[in-house]
Amino acid sequence: MARDLAIDLGTANTLVYMKGKGIVLNEPSVIAVNRQSGEVLATGHDAWDMIGRTPSYIVAVRPLRGGAITDFDITERMIRLLLQRVGVSRFTRPKVVICVPSAITEVERRAVTDATRRAGASDAQLIEQPMAAAIGANLPIDEPVGNMVIDIGGGTTETAVISLGGVVALEAIRVGSFDIDAAIQSYVRREHGVAIGERTAEEIKIQIGSAEPGPQDRSADIRGRDLVTGLPKTVRLTAEEVRFAIDEPVAAMVLSVKRCLAKAPPELAQDFLARGMYLVGGGGMLRGLAARIERETEVPVKMSPQPLEAVVLGAGHCIENYQALRGMFMGTSR
Amino acid sequence: MIAMSFFTGLFAFIAIVSGATLLIMIYFDNRNVRIDDGIANFRRHIDALSPEARQSSVHRNNSEDRRN
Repeated sequence: MARDLAIDLGTANTLVYMKGKGIVLNEPSVIAVNRQSGEVLATGHDAWDMIGRTPSYIVAVRPLRGGAITDFDITERMIRLLLQRVGVSRFTRPKVVICVPSAITEVERRAVTDATRRAGASDAQLIEQPMAAAIGANLPIDEPVGNMVIDIGGGTTETAVISLGGVVALEAIRVGSFDIDAAIQSYVRREHGVAIGERTAEEIKIQIGSAEPGPQDRSADIRGRDLVTGLPKTVRLTAEEVRFAIDEPVAAMVLSVKRCLAKAPPELAQDFLARGMYLVGGGGMLRGLAARIERETEVPVKMSPQPLEAVVLGAGHCIENYQALRGMFMGTSR
Repeated sequence: MIAMSFFTGLFAFIAIVSGATLLIMIYFDNRNVRIDDGIANFRRHIDALSPEARQSSVHRNNSEDRRN
């Protein structure tokens, strides 16, 4: 008998929760494929190490962008491999709950459920990421009070107001932490004439990236390829420069939070002031982001204790209480 | 003959009235059940989201991760 699963199929990372066991898999959403034969060569951490370093016949790709499937076949193969790795065989077909961005279109929704069913699931249900995040972040969403959750993932930023087990207001944009990496890449290319890869850009973001000035501001030497000479080159980048480079995506994230606050009923506004907003997702870990949102919205912002796992833990709770929480799945009547 | 047809008619009338009453009672009973179902389903939904219900999934994982 297969154990039912909850999958957080994120743009950056994929996490799998197994019913009765907890989180059993956590790795990057990357797959390396042989371009000629179509064979899968590596997934997860192994495939992540290959990004930007493969010979021409190998392609290491992220099959999701902005929370949506960009390559259906590769996503299906990735889900199939994930299911195999957690012990699902041809004869055991589990029920699967998948977390998806709330801004997903009908076509994208069908792409995810079809890919999951074809990969071996007996039933595939979708749950909105902010709702799963609120459950996983232990917010008191069973009470008639306003709970605000900001989920910043690799490809999306979603802000939701949740009360009495349902979404009251929602705002989602397709801007996430990968857009921050892309902004760093673009800045270094434009201002320093040096090309850097997406992994280097991510390392810069983690090391010296910030949304607000702070005492930890420092600089870092980065290595890339000189666009004029084509030779390797090292340039020094300051925290202030990085802050300037990433201001556009960060401002878009803050604006989407403000728009969600504006959509929320006034009765719940006082709850936010008293209880604050909760930040989840890997993108929320950017230094100073909580402080910037707090400064611009004048509402306290708290970081969830488990920002990376909150979504899959919430979906896992839904798989543990499948019948009682069926109404939370997308496309079902509440 | 007349007496028989009178009783047959009476029984038929009583049967029809009883049947109709029964159907009306079943209809109203079902309606009540549906209203109760809504309350019960909502209660179940909310209870499943309570901190106590999350003890087994979310809290357990949080504490396991902290140990790791």
